[in-house]
Amino acid sequence: MEVSHSVKERTIAENSLVILLQGLRGLVTTVDLRDETVARGRVDNVDAFMNIRLAEVTYTDRQGQQVQLDDLFVTGRNVRYVHIPDDVDITTTIEQQLQAIHRVRNFGSEGKGRREFPTRKYK
Amino acid sequence: MSFLKSFPPPSPEDGLRQQQPDTEAVLDGKGLGTGTLYIAESRLSWLDGSGIGFSLDYPTISLHAVSRDLNAYPQEHLYVMVNARFGEEEPKELKETPVAEGEEDEDSDEDIEPIAEFRFVPSDKSALEALFAAMCECQALHPDPEDEDSDDYDGEEYDVEAHEQGQGDIPTFYTYEEGLSHLTAEGQATLERLEGMLAQSVSSQYNMAGVRTEDSIRDYEDGMEIDTTPTVAGQFEDADVDH
Repeated sequence: MEVSHSVKERTIAENSLVILLQGLRGLVTTVDLRDETVARGRVDNVDAFMNIRLAEVTYTDRQGQQVQLDDLFVTGRNVRYVHIPDDVDITTTIEQQLQAIHRVRNFGSEGKGRREFPTRKYK
Repeated sequence: MSFLKSFPPPSPEDGLRQQQPDTEAVLDGKGLGTGTLYIAESRLSWLDGSGIGFSLDYPTISLHAVSRDLNAYPQEHLYVMVNARFGEEEPKELKETPVAEGEEDEDSDEDIEPIAEFRFVPSDKSALEALFAAMCECQALHPDPEDEDSDDYDGEEYDVEAHEQGQGDIPTFYTYEEGLSHLTAEGQATLERLEGMLAQSVSSQYNMAGVRTEDSIRDYEDGMEIDTTPTVAGQFEDADVDH
C-alpha cells in the first residue's frame, strides 16, 4: 500500500478525509469536477491536496460529449465530488490507510527507538 | 495572437523537467505552429522556432491529460485545460475580472468561468507519458493557495516533524525504498560509490563497533544508512579483534 513520501502530506492525509480517497487507488470511480464536467476512470493516485490522477478515463464535457483519455490529472481545487464505489467499506478503507501511514512512521523502531545495529532479522 | 511574446527558454536552474521539440501547440482549436514544449517546475512554456511563445502558470491549470482517442481529436496529444482567457491583450484570470457586488467567492462565478483548451501535439507520441508525468509532478508543487483545510498544517503552530518525532524516532529517516526514490541520479551514484567503499574498506575479520564488514553489511543492510566508513582507510586494520 503506497503512502506519500512527504511527512507533511502524510499528516494532512491522516487528519482529513483525503485519506479515504487515497484508499480508492486501483478502483474505478467517477469524479465530478467543479466545471460540471465528469471524469470516470481508475484511480491511480490521490495526494494530500486532493489532486487526482485517473487512468483509462471517460471524460464527459459540459455539452455531454464523451472522450476517452489515457491518463487524466485533475487539480484538487477543481474536484467537486468523488463518488465512492458502492462496494467500498468506508470505515475499513480509512483504517487500512491509517495503518499504512503508521507502519511507515514507525519503521524499524517497534516502540524502542532507533537502534544502531539492528538484529539480523531486519532486511 | 497577441498573447504570444518573446522570452528565453527555461533552463535547468528554472527546474526544467522535460522539453519536447517538434511539438505543435493548439489553442481552442487554432494551431499556433510548431515549437518546443518546456515543462519546468515554475511554469509550463512553449516557444516556436523564432523564440516567440507563451507560458502557463500551474495554479491556472485545471487539469491535463493524455488523449489517444482519435475520434475526439485526430492526433494523440497532451491536453491542458486552463482557467484563464487568452487571445486578448493579457491572459485574464477569473480573480482579476471585476466582480459585481464585490463578492470574492469564485465558486459563485462558475457560469462565466473562463476556460482555455490547449493541445500539445508532439511528433514523437511516445513522449506523451513522460510529459504527462512531468506535469503531474510540477502541479503537485503548486498546491492551491486558497485551500483553507491544508493551511492548518503549515507554519510554526503545527510543527509536523516534532509531532511525528514524538511518536517514534524514525520520521527523519527514509526507508531504503522511499529514500532511493528521492535521490537524484548523482545521489544514487554517490550512494553506490559509498556502499562500494564500505564493502571494500575493512577485511571480513573485523567487526568492531562503528565498522561494518562485508558480512555484517549483508546482515544489517536495512537501509538505515549510518556513515561508518573509517576516515582513514585501514585505520582499524591493526586492531586486535577476535570476538
